Amino acid sequence: MRHLALERWARGSSPLHHRDPRAKIVALLVFLIALATDSHGLPWFALGLVVLLVTALLWARIPVWGALARAGIVLPFSAVFAAVSWLAGDPARGAPLAMKSYLSALAVLVVTSTTPLPVLLRGLEAMGAPSFLLDVGQFLHRYFFVISEEAQRMNQAAVARGVSGRQWGFGGPVFRASAGALAVLFGRSYGRAGDIHRAMLARGFDGRFRPLRTLRFQRADLLFTAVASLAPIAMRLAVERALA
Amino acid sequence: MHIPDGFLSTPVWATLDAAAAPAVVYLTRRAQRSLEENKVPLLGVLGAFVFAAQMINFPVGPGTTGHLVGGALLAFTLGPAPASMVMVAILAVQALVFQDGGILALGANITNMAVMGVLAGYLPFHIWGATRWRGFSVFAGGALSVLVSACLALAELLISGVRMPGSVLSVSLALFTVSAILEGAITLAVLRALEKVQPKTIHYPRPGRSPVLAGVALTAVLLATVGVLFAASGPDGIEKVLNLHAGSLQVNLLRQASTGILGLAMIYGACLVIGRVASRRRSL
Repeated sequence: MRHLALERWARGSSPLHHRDPRAKIVALLVFLIALATDSHGLPWFALGLVVLLVTALLWARIPVWGALARAGIVLPFSAVFAAVSWLAGDPARGAPLAMKSYLSALAVLVVTSTTPLPVLLRGLEAMGAPSFLLDVGQFLHRYFFVISEEAQRMNQAAVARGVSGRQWGFGGPVFRASAGALAVLFGRSYGRAGDIHRAMLARGFDGRFRPLRTLRFQRADLLFTAVASLAPIAMRLAVERALA
Repeated sequence: MHIPDGFLSTPVWATLDAAAAPAVVYLTRRAQRSLEENKVPLLGVLGAFVFAAQMINFPVGPGTTGHLVGGALLAFTLGPAPASMVMVAILAVQALVFQDGGILALGANITNMAVMGVLAGYLPFHIWGATRWRGFSVFAGGALSVLVSACLALAELLISGVRMPGSVLSVSLALFTVSAILEGAITLAVLRALEKVQPKTIHYPRPGRSPVLAGVALTAVLLATVGVLFAASGPDGIEKVLNLHAGSLQVNLLRQASTGILGLAMIYGACLVIGRVASRRRSL
């Protein structure tokens, strides 16, 4: 599955992997805001940001081409709106949309490919996000793989029984069979949730997840936050001054 | 419908982030209170179910398949607040792990799909779920959840300055309507199957809802979503008053902010008066 590469990258080891998640979240937000609020000299600013992000990927020992390709997931959406802008007589608007969305996705990818999701969620919790919501997010991510594989098996079973795309129509037998499969999947998921809860209670779960190690914001994290946050701001100011 | 970063203008994403943050905190507390005991696994696993459900295809036309979006189905089974919270978790994981939707645009996506989409989807079921119109309410809920989310996303893009010719807008609305009908049909089919397989998982509302309140609520939802697409581009009443009398406010941003705050204050005042009158009548 496509997301397994991200899991593998996040479990790597590099100076960027070892930084506190809060430092990376703050730097990411500054990066995204600097990019989102820019309106002058975007191509030059974007070029600088690409260099910055590729440097971060190399520093984190993450396959650069793999990451650049993965961030391209936003491009079909951007391409549609670029085409719509062109149809509306505003062709110049399409390129900035594509650049901003692609670079934002790449920046998020740099953070998520150097921080395992549970650690990232712990960082968000330390910054004030509701812990109940984050625990649900963690469970969701963990059981997504299990339930997805079950859904794929059900699809294969349906195909093996002779179901094909030709038997279409609202309320038809295939439509009803798909609804039944989904209801069964829902029932199994519901049942599995009960089993998991009982198992957790048996192991002493009291409503709180206990992390194996606590987060520690060190001097190196502070330095990283300062440098990584100032870099896009300095780049933007330099481009704006050069074009003024 | 997942808006990536870079598409929304700063006032739009910043406002929606500011609105979504307290909404998420409120919904999380409400979800925690409404569950009998700590049911983190239930919410997490059903969130994973909504993800996985998108892999089961529903044949709807020659060579065309659709899939469940799931916001309304979650609301019918978990209740509105836990369902909204699960949708927030889904959107956050999608943005972080799958790069599907932006981080700055997360507030907009949460408002569209997790808050407005889920609540609008639950509204018909809340009103007619305990009557003989239950089948219709399930279909309408599924359809409304998609229609409201899609129209809000489209409105936010238009407000942000993404230009769309009338023909593209019409085609988009037609596609949204088809998707909404499809979601309604799938939600109804799955809920009917679920009633046979595991009826206890459905969160039926209590009977005895006011039809007047129902009409007002549904009209408000439709006006707030579909209506905004057809809103006049000229200044409204409050803006006209400010344009005439706010000569000292030279900064455009400040004027827009004061217009918004004045509008909100007026709406708040009107709601406060209506609420007090209604509560007095009830206590008499």
